[in-house]
Amino acid sequence: MSDTFDRMQSMFDGAIQRSGEIFWRPAADIYRTRTGWLIKYDLAGVRSEDIEVTVLGSRITVRGMRRDWQLEDGARHYSMEISYNRFERTLELPCDLSGTEVEIQGREGILLLRLTCQGDIP
Amino acid sequence: MSSTDNVQSLPVLPLKNAVLFPLVLMPLTIGRPNSIAATEAALASEGKDLVVVAQRDASKEAPALTDLYSIGTRAVIKQMARKSEGTLEVVLLGVERVVLLKLEQDGAYQTARIKPLPLPQEKSPEIEALHREVADLAARALAFIQPQAAEELRRLIDASKEPLRLVYTLAPMFGLELVKEQALLEAATVADCLRLMHSYLTHELQVLELRNKIADEAQSEMSKEQREYLLRQQLRAIQKELNGENPEASEVALLRERLAKLDLPEEVRKETERELARLERLPSAAPDYHVTRTYLDILLELPWKVATEDVLDIASARQILDEDHYDLREVKERILEHLGVLKLNPTAKSPILCFVGPPGVGKTSLGQSIARALGRKFERLSLGGMHDEAELRGHRRTYIGAMPGRIIQAIRRAGVNNPVLMLDEVDKVGRDFRGDPTAALLEILDPEQNRNFRDNYLDLPFDLSKVFFITTANTLDTIPRPLLDRMELLRLAGYSEEEKIEIAKRYLIPRQIKEAGLKPEDCVISDDALKAIIAQYTREAGVRQLERAIGRIARKTAVRHAEGRTEPVTIKREDLVTWLGPRRFSPEQARRQLPAGVATGLAWTETGGEVLYVEATLLPNGRGLILTGQLGEVMQESARAAQSYLWSHAEELGIDRDRFRKYGVHIHVPAGATPKDGPSAGVTMATALASVYTNYPARADIAMTGEITLTGLVLPIGGVKEKVLAARRVGIKRVILPRDNEKDLTDLPDPVVKEMEFIFADKIEDVLTAAIPQLGEHFAGVSAAV
Repeated sequence: MSDTFDRMQSMFDGAIQRSGEIFWRPAADIYRTRTGWLIKYDLAGVRSEDIEVTVLGSRITVRGMRRDWQLEDGARHYSMEISYNRFERTLELPCDLSGTEVEIQGREGILLLRLTCQGDIP
Repeated sequence: MSSTDNVQSLPVLPLKNAVLFPLVLMPLTIGRPNSIAATEAALASEGKDLVVVAQRDASKEAPALTDLYSIGTRAVIKQMARKSEGTLEVVLLGVERVVLLKLEQDGAYQTARIKPLPLPQEKSPEIEALHREVADLAARALAFIQPQAAEELRRLIDASKEPLRLVYTLAPMFGLELVKEQALLEAATVADCLRLMHSYLTHELQVLELRNKIADEAQSEMSKEQREYLLRQQLRAIQKELNGENPEASEVALLRERLAKLDLPEEVRKETERELARLERLPSAAPDYHVTRTYLDILLELPWKVATEDVLDIASARQILDEDHYDLREVKERILEHLGVLKLNPTAKSPILCFVGPPGVGKTSLGQSIARALGRKFERLSLGGMHDEAELRGHRRTYIGAMPGRIIQAIRRAGVNNPVLMLDEVDKVGRDFRGDPTAALLEILDPEQNRNFRDNYLDLPFDLSKVFFITTANTLDTIPRPLLDRMELLRLAGYSEEEKIEIAKRYLIPRQIKEAGLKPEDCVISDDALKAIIAQYTREAGVRQLERAIGRIARKTAVRHAEGRTEPVTIKREDLVTWLGPRRFSPEQARRQLPAGVATGLAWTETGGEVLYVEATLLPNGRGLILTGQLGEVMQESARAAQSYLWSHAEELGIDRDRFRKYGVHIHVPAGATPKDGPSAGVTMATALASVYTNYPARADIAMTGEITLTGLVLPIGGVKEKVLAARRVGIKRVILPRDNEKDLTDLPDPVVKEMEFIFADKIEDVLTAAIPQLGEHFAGVSAAV
């Protein structure tokens, strides 16, 4: 009985903390710039061809996949904390982003998105 | 994305007893070699994916495709760590539902070809309703499981807008059986899935509610028992502190100690030990404990073999008896006889005596004096008004508050098994539907039976044969024959004036003076005054009223002393009015002359003797015999017998038979308000009738008593002493007695016998000759003629 209980307990904790998303979410910083927005994603080890950015209304979504690779022959995991496989992150900004120009740049494991707004900056 | 659409090949991780749902994180410890191999393969891949499938049978270590369910979940390893014992700890995240198409062995592990199996997205009111219902049920059920996290869980549930997501997150929380979890995973539509979940939750909720209830009850039950246990422990500790040991055990030990010291009959010892063993096993709170305890107390207290030693010195016994009571020769002789027998035969049975006599003659005090003379303990109990056999014999122990009977209690009080036990007022035992105590007395007073007297409470035989039983009674009429048969009757007649004076001088005056706190010389009552007190202030067979009168004088003297007038007082006859008030009784006087039809009779009452007159008168033109004066049946019958006798002997008596035919006759016996009965007025009635028929008056200076028969015989009667004394009191000096009562004159004090003239009658003729002078002459003439 106590086993079941412990198991349930951990389930609750898991359920409450990570309410069941299939994808992992990269951390993101958002900056205001003179011309628009600058968003930093913590997305190291992700190939650029595996990243897809979509803009819809005031939302901007980054999704993709982090694939692991064999570093060395005969190396195998001793432990693993990095999330692999599919990720997705949707951010909502306080302005309409349609017609915004998006510039993608990778730098030292950080993905940078530079959004330049047309017209007035709200 | 392409990978979800297509058929893929992934390592298979079989799960025992669990189903991984999409959207759910599951921590797992992996230990089976093939599972480790499959996990390693997934870790080596780019995306860390594998397929998690539940095993149908948990006992299979290397399951084949048929041992696995065909629908599983594609999962991603989110975290992983190796443990020293070679197992892997992983956290898996369920991604999507897949169907297993084919299983292939790939070295140490299996790979499966899988195809995603998404549920059709649909929306309907039914799904909406089911969704809400499930959410509600889940919230209620979770409140039981996780009361402290109820708020958070409720929010989580409310946040699950998607029905499937709700089911998948909830399902692992209830620890459902594998089959049920798998069924949820395999559900064909969202609605099916919700329906299943709904039924499972309903069931779970019921179980939880029930379990909660049971737990509550168990809790309260437990706490109650625990409380009692705790209190008991504390009590025990307190008792221990107070007594130094277990009180129940010490009580039993004390009883055992007493038992060991006592000399008991074998049967009693056995029973006592049995009861002691029973007592030991009983907790002191048990109701039986005290019943058994009391029973044991009584058993151990009874004098089974304790007896006082009899004082067998006849001279000192005689002295004690004489000191305490005046005269009563017969009784004293009987006691001394018994002493003599005891001296020669110590095992002799004690006699059972019955003292019969009027009140105040000293029956009870005689019992005390006997005990003193014999050196025995004295106990008395009154049987007057007792009507329940159980009072003598006790109640069985099964009754609440049961006690031994009065006999055993008296023995217990005496503390010896050979006391003088006085049963007072044996003639006043009640008998009704509730029982007949005399029947119990039959056993108690039978020397053959009372050796094994069984009290209902004791239920053990007690030997009463050593007890010296004395019963007292005022009259024998109400004592049943069988009971009377068992006792030795000793009559204590009333006292004569001389005896009363002696008693007063020897016992009553010294006693009353002492009680008043005076010295003997302080108050002297002259003989003359005593006589006057007896005649004018008392009328009794005993001496109680006399003692009260003396007591009054003594107290008045004490008052004078208290007031300072300490000169000695001598009471003379003429002072009595000042000391005792006006005289209460005028001296009875015999009628000087009697008209024809009146005769002087003597009667015995419980309070002594009395003179009574029988009056007869003829009723011209009347018929039959009228009897008045509260006469009892026996007395009425003796009146009829007297009449019949006179009728049949009319010629001899010189009575004209026509007088019988012409006249009716009325007999009256004053005082009319006092009921009278008994056969002893027979001769008096015959004399009165003879007198009225012959018209010769009877002598006024002669009194008579005796029973008559139809053939004219005079039979003996009782109470001679009281009757003679009554005649003497009123100044009649001649008494006619039945011949057979001649022996009873020895009861009378010598001066009385000397003073009186007795005529002993065999037949009615003797009575009539003596009582009616003219008839005597007539008889003399007749006999001369013969």
